[in-house]
Amino acid sequence: MSDFLETTVDKFTFKVATDRFYNEEGVWAKEETGRVRIGLSDFVQKRSGDVAFAEIKPAGTVVAVGGEVAVIETIKVNVTYSSPVNGKIVEVNPAMNDAPEAINQDPYGSGWLAVLEVLDWEMQKVKLLDPQAYFKIMKSQAEEEAKKL
Amino acid sequence: MMEKIQKVMIVPCSGIGKPYGSVSREAAYEVTEDLRPGQTQLIPLALLVLGDEACRSIVASYPAVTIDGCKLGCAAKMVQQSGGTIAQEFAVLDVYRRYKDLKPQGIAELNEAGQKLARVLAEEVTTVVDGLLTGNQGGENA
Repeated sequence: MSDFLETTVDKFTFKVATDRFYNEEGVWAKEETGRVRIGLSDFVQKRSGDVAFAEIKPAGTVVAVGGEVAVIETIKVNVTYSSPVNGKIVEVNPAMNDAPEAINQDPYGSGWLAVLEVLDWEMQKVKLLDPQAYFKIMKSQAEEEAKKL
Repeated sequence: MMEKIQKVMIVPCSGIGKPYGSVSREAAYEVTEDLRPGQTQLIPLALLVLGDEACRSIVASYPAVTIDGCKLGCAAKMVQQSGGTIAQEFAVLDVYRRYKDLKPQGIAELNEAGQKLARVLAEEVTTVVDGLLTGNQGGENA
């Protein structure tokens, strides 16, 4: 089970799981015995709205940090997300085909996007945001969004 | 012997300013004004939210088909809170997933794809309405 950092902005509560790393877009990366699972943060899924379709790059695709890894279509927007790590996609969440709402329902669990094979996680993770650093950025982004309401 | 259902309430969401809310209302208008006028009645969600007695009474008396634009499911929740019986819940997003080429856009005026999606949805709602009126379907909360 993940622990979370939490903040409430306006009427929304946003959680940041503390057992993984993040890029500034809010794509998380969690190391799992030599592989890295990726997904979207709670803030990202709440800001984007109900997911209609999720197109993840297929298994076998080699992605670089900042390269496109997924396109998510929600009832509000179409957003392209970047990979937080260099690596090869070895598994795509099968739920993304027929039940992409898992992203909204369980962003840190069953709503994961893909698993990547990475060679140098220890080197790569130092370039990512730790949960506290992402929490600070996310909170600032959430407060900016709230001002638009 | 079961009493025959005379009428079905159609309750769309009130997601003003969002294309999916517009699709839900377009579909509701199509059912109540064009496809099954007389056998269906449009219920404005705002009246249920305000607790309008006449509106609550009619919703409590007939089965309802709800059409929600997002997963908040306001239409379904309000029918339940008003003492009504939901025969079937529709979510625009679920229908859109089956018709990916009909992406709704526009708010005050839906694009052509959104209008087509509303028609598809209206036809699905009409099928449920017909089933309820002929006693072949419905009654349970979806």
